[in-house]
Amino acid sequence: MEEAGEAARARRRRAKARIIAPVARELRAAGALSVAAGAVWPAQAAAIAWAISEWAAGAPPMQAALPAAAFLVLGGLLRAALGHAAGRLHFRAADRTIARERAALIGREARAPSAAGSAAIAALAVQKLPLLQPWITRYQAALARVAALPLLLLALAFSLSWPVGLTLLVAGPLIPVFMALVGMAAEAASRRRLDEIGSMNSMLMDRLSALLDIRLLGATERVSAEFAARAEALRERTMAVLRIAFLSSTVLELFSALGVALVAVFVGFTLLGEIGFGSWGRPLTLGEGVFLLLIAPEFFQPLRELAAAWHDRAAGFALVEELEALDAAPRAAPLGRAAEAPPLPGPFSLKATGAAAALPGRATPLPEIALGPGGRLALTGPSGAGKSAALAALAGLLPLAAGRVEVCGRRLDDESADGWRARIAFMPQRAHFPDRPLRDWLDPKGGGADPAPALALADAAEIVARLPEGLGARLGETGGGVSGGEARRLMVARAVMAGGDLLLADEPTADLDPETAARVIAALMALNREGRALIVATHDPALIAAMGASVEIPA
Amino acid sequence: MRPLLSALRLLLGAAPWAMARGAALSLLVLLMGAALLGLSGWFIAATGLAGLAGIGIAFDVFRPSAGVRFLALGRTAARYGERLLTHDATLRALSALRVALLRRFAALDARGLARLRGEGALTRIVADVDALDGLVLRLALPVLAGLAAHLLVFAALGWLAGWPVALAVLLGWLPAAALILWRLGRAPSDEAEARGQALWRGVIDAIRDRDALILSGRLAAAEAGLADLDRAARAAAAAVDRADRAAGAALSVLAPVAAALALLAGAALIERGAAGVAVAGIGVFVALALAETVLPLRRGFGELGRMAGAARRLSPGDVARAAGGAAEPAPGAPALEIRRGGFALRLMPGEAVALTGASGAGKTTILMEIAGLLPAEGVALWGRAPADWTEGPLRDRLAALPQRSALIAGTVRDNLSLSGPVPEAALWAALEAAALAGTVRARGGLDARLGEGGAGLSGGEAKRLALARALIRKPSLLLLDEPTEGLDAATAARVLEGARRALPEAAILAALHRGADHPVFTRRAHLGA
Repeated sequence: MEEAGEAARARRRRAKARIIAPVARELRAAGALSVAAGAVWPAQAAAIAWAISEWAAGAPPMQAALPAAAFLVLGGLLRAALGHAAGRLHFRAADRTIARERAALIGREARAPSAAGSAAIAALAVQKLPLLQPWITRYQAALARVAALPLLLLALAFSLSWPVGLTLLVAGPLIPVFMALVGMAAEAASRRRLDEIGSMNSMLMDRLSALLDIRLLGATERVSAEFAARAEALRERTMAVLRIAFLSSTVLELFSALGVALVAVFVGFTLLGEIGFGSWGRPLTLGEGVFLLLIAPEFFQPLRELAAAWHDRAAGFALVEELEALDAAPRAAPLGRAAEAPPLPGPFSLKATGAAAALPGRATPLPEIALGPGGRLALTGPSGAGKSAALAALAGLLPLAAGRVEVCGRRLDDESADGWRARIAFMPQRAHFPDRPLRDWLDPKGGGADPAPALALADAAEIVARLPEGLGARLGETGGGVSGGEARRLMVARAVMAGGDLLLADEPTADLDPETAARVIAALMALNREGRALIVATHDPALIAAMGASVEIPA
Repeated sequence: MRPLLSALRLLLGAAPWAMARGAALSLLVLLMGAALLGLSGWFIAATGLAGLAGIGIAFDVFRPSAGVRFLALGRTAARYGERLLTHDATLRALSALRVALLRRFAALDARGLARLRGEGALTRIVADVDALDGLVLRLALPVLAGLAAHLLVFAALGWLAGWPVALAVLLGWLPAAALILWRLGRAPSDEAEARGQALWRGVIDAIRDRDALILSGRLAAAEAGLADLDRAARAAAAAVDRADRAAGAALSVLAPVAAALALLAGAALIERGAAGVAVAGIGVFVALALAETVLPLRRGFGELGRMAGAARRLSPGDVARAAGGAAEPAPGAPALEIRRGGFALRLMPGEAVALTGASGAGKTTILMEIAGLLPAEGVALWGRAPADWTEGPLRDRLAALPQRSALIAGTVRDNLSLSGPVPEAALWAALEAAALAGTVRARGGLDARLGEGGAGLSGGEAKRLALARALIRKPSLLLLDEPTEGLDAATAARVLEGARRALPEAAILAALHRGADHPVFTRRAHLGA
């Protein structure tokens, strides 16, 4: 259902300004080509009508058929070429729009992510943005054609027989009246179908991700049967809606079918001489009758195309709404360009005074910190106090809302952030293993060094040795194949490979059993003994004890 | 091609009667469309001739004009019925496909089942299932109906207007349409899908690995990589669009070509005196009307590659488990016996053993081997290898709580009665044993709704609900993988005691980091790395 009201209208206007206006020129050209393609048909119809009327007049049949056939085919070729060219322009316009919106979306989210989450962004950029295409291609083409072709055919019909023209005129404008209705109904129907598939799919995903449990419970058969029963109930509900939705779209078909039938019958009776009016005072010829019959269905065709494309427009509006929500979402960008830069010169030092990290929408204070080469410090405090934000601010991943952070004797700002990051390593709380070989993942800077010493230092050599493909293994999305503690040790190895004078580690022992946590702590201490400073955010007493110095961030 | 055919069989078999009715009505719609234009064309030509000859009064106008009206109304009605029936059939097929997949994937081993947890894998499966949804509605039914319409029209035209005209229409449409659609079917739509998946993956990787990318100064490089992936994805989409547009253009030429051939054939008939003008013209109108049988196929064939790829990825492969024949325990055998290099364990009914060992020592693996979800060596359940057991009886005797157990969306009751309806009292008893009854009561009882994947419960609560679910099965052997993970010491102790009390006769094997010294355990078994 289309929302009424000024807000909805304004939203639709904004959506058109954003998506349609930048490609308006191409769309006009494509629309003109598409209309031209449609305008070829009356000429082809005239050729057929001419040939049949020549036959009726007793001319040699082949002599009439040959040129008409040639004209028909040539017209077909012209029509195809025009349609093809229009399609190319439409596709290009859509492709450019998708490329632009996608680049903006990805560029922004990769640098300064919103709270939407990676899965939602990926789905938007990859699966949903292409939904703009039918709005730009199919719907806009139908719009151009519906504005021109019915008028052209109507004029032709009127010029030959006003009752035929009138029949079309009455049936035609009634269609737009119904179309609002039908378009909405079709939209409701297609949305209903999508909803149906959507809820069936989310049920499928839900059951698939619990399938290990289901199998272990011996519930496979029962769950399958239950799934089938629920799908059946969904089907019955959907069909109840579709019965009505299809009924209203049948109205459109009915009008176009009746229009054609009325034209055929009226023309037949006129030709027989039983109806003596309508053709402007002269008799209607057989050829003209055939011509009228042939153009009548084409009069309705653009209207049907537009009705079929109606929901493409609604889908486009809905998508733009999502994009606008993301435009307005709060986000925090890192300092600097996040590109490779020479390390900051000078001896290592880190000092934070009166600083606060700027999270989207709020600021969390940093403790006072002063750390020299090889120093150790634990940031402690309850969950949610801002330990992770503090670490991120020290790495220049978050901007400062207040105060100052000094690194290697310089202020940490956009100028120095890239050089500062070249001197430090960062270990996030959660490991993410992209779909790349472990060897590449361990060496983010691509230095090409042998990972063996780093793995040994991090107590992770045996983990790699146990993987069937060793360093070539792809651990995939959830780190399948390694346990939580193993993933942590691999992250320590990655930090070792990254080098630098300081390691910032976020909750390196969270969710680990004491034995495993002890191994991770030992690995961190080994790193520290090599002369690297260490700051960890943690509430693990064992780790705090090992660090020696700690400072609390109050909640 | 074979996976596609088996998917087609599955979909058509889901509701053969509904499919047949839908196909019959599709055919009727096409035939009535061709008849409507053919009859109208003949009617106008015939009336025109009669008018010219001055015998208009003698012309029977009523039957043809009634026929025209009947066909116009009948076609509309048939169209409505066709839409309803084919959608009904498709919805049945959608559900059948998903149920078949559930059964098929359930036969995977522990690793395969665990992979289904990943959102990448799930997204891919759902995308593939969606692609197959169009197989019937957009491909199989329209192809069948279109082909049948052409053959019937051929017969009717041959009888009415003469075989040359019928042949002209058939040859004008069928061979070229088949060729164009076959070529379109080879459009790289599956490649486009794969490129889209690569971009999807890349976006997720870039956002999740953002911190590391910024730290290593490689964010710009990652963005450039994403731009490359985007270009590749759009290039693949453009290739599909090119193929689709070329096919569309070629198909749109066929109607005039067929009509032109029909015109020539009609002329030849008139020259031979074999047909009158009105009859000779019918073929032209019918040839034009037949566009409806072919043009809608474009979309289905454009997705053929995608559908074939989806069917291939979803096809069963070699997941079928060797179905063992054993349904009864060997007399006098222990519930569980493991004998392999460096590790031996014998577990009798009523015993509880704590399985210890560092992370990565293989505790989870050995539990999955015992549960029959990984190839096992030296493992015997009641005297027989896990693979020798029939699935049903094995699951009745053995229950397992996996390390990362998953709940389903629905109520607490839905989750607890996954394997079958259970009396209310037994549900509460199991919740009591899992130290969760208080939590469930506080949340509104057994009919409290949980979100997808059990959202709304903490990790520890979800784990205990999964434990209660296993206890309800009343197994003779209970395998627990980290049952106390995420629980404080007191709750952990209550949960272990509760499980023991709930199943006093059962043999229990629990892999745990902590709490292995709990008095519930009669022994400990250590798994060395």
